[in-house]
Amino acid sequence: MRWRWFHQWGSPRWFYERAGRWQLVCGWLSLGLIAVGTIWGLGFAPVDYQQGNSYRIIYLHVPVAFLAQAMYGAMAVSAVVLFVWKMKIADVAMQSIAIIGFAFTALALGSGAVWGKPTWGTYWVWDARLTSMLILAFLYLALIGLRASIRDPDQAGKVCGILILVGVVNLPIIKYSVEWWNTLHQPASLKLTEKPTMPASMWIPLLINILGYYIVAAYLVLGSMRAILVERERRSSWVRELVKRV
Amino acid sequence: MSIEKRILARELWLAAARPGDIVKPLWFLLLVVSMVPLALTPDSELLAEIGSAMIWIATLLALLLNSEHLFQSDFSDGILEQWLFFNRPLAWLVGLKLTAHWLLHVLPLILLSPVVALMLSVPGDVSIALFITMLVATPALTCFSGLGAALTLGSSRSGILGVLVMMPLFVPVVVLASGVLIRAMDGSETLPLLALLGAFSVASAVLVPIAVSLAIRVNIGGSN
Repeated sequence: MRWRWFHQWGSPRWFYERAGRWQLVCGWLSLGLIAVGTIWGLGFAPVDYQQGNSYRIIYLHVPVAFLAQAMYGAMAVSAVVLFVWKMKIADVAMQSIAIIGFAFTALALGSGAVWGKPTWGTYWVWDARLTSMLILAFLYLALIGLRASIRDPDQAGKVCGILILVGVVNLPIIKYSVEWWNTLHQPASLKLTEKPTMPASMWIPLLINILGYYIVAAYLVLGSMRAILVERERRSSWVRELVKRV
Repeated sequence: MSIEKRILARELWLAAARPGDIVKPLWFLLLVVSMVPLALTPDSELLAEIGSAMIWIATLLALLLNSEHLFQSDFSDGILEQWLFFNRPLAWLVGLKLTAHWLLHVLPLILLSPVVALMLSVPGDVSIALFITMLVATPALTCFSGLGAALTLGSSRSGILGVLVMMPLFVPVVVLASGVLIRAMDGSETLPLLALLGAFSVASAVLVPIAVSLAIRVNIGGSN
């Protein structure tokens, strides 16, 4: 019985039902947190003395940028679980995270561009952090495209897992090389102007939002995993029962 | 004859049977480089400045073009499946195949680079730096494009998917190579960066064949 908690993860039905409940909790929790963080951040946090009100995009930009990278880590953990324990649920997680991770990366790039225009006077610069984010977006796209091109889901999962793990080794190298390249090409006239000191009334709502976005990511991944599970297990009896009940 | 010798001999025979496969990427490189002055300007000073980067990118594309289907024919005629039954690690045989590919299909591109450098009036010392950079960097690129080819073996209509999948992983190589070329143009020390590039190539040559062999195994298992 001691291993039951572990073996349960092998059952798609168990996961589907459990994930539904978790999703509900995550949904309401994240809604509350993001509402508090965003209203506080946009409405009540003090104005930045340098950037004025435009800095307030950090309440969206910083959380999604955090997640864009964290999602890749989560995907890599899933890939390891898939290869070590051959759990199909890990493959479903990889598939969901690739798409949602790409969405977060695109959102981070987009919100950064919107902020860059009033602050730097341009939507895009070849700054190290922007560039490595762009490469990350391409990697997510590669995973989505690779999976879409292979018909057998088990085979697609393993192939994507290999690419994810190769990417995990490479991402730090890419990040460092791009940082090095940027300092070579241009002097530090443009930096992401991160204030070393921020008043608490600025960073507390930011922290709340970061937490809220993490939970909303969990909500989205769980939802997408449930949808993929139902599709993959469409021939099994529990899915048929589920459909009959609806 | 040992297995290694037989595999290399087979690669040689295949290349001799289809010399077009060696010529086409060279032809492509020449064409792309000829397009650069036409698209930009015949001004030799400007060309000299961006020429080495242009040649580098064109070579990268030519390399990707000819390694896109690196394992495809061996996969469809069952050679890769036979490799599984040799008493050698699959990664070792993959490494051999990649080495043969580099010698037969990538080295000619590198040998052509001084000629195309002349076409874009790249100065002599930069042209030498470009040649050495390519020599040092292409093993890593060959390994990664081989991985792209192996990952997409099971794809129904892979097209240029393997290229799209692998391009992001080329970033460190491209960045370091551009560093070497910029330093060569300044006349400053290039050796440290070349050493880093070499280290990346050696690490890729050791590790990537393992990933390639995994991808081949998965795709052979899935096709049954």
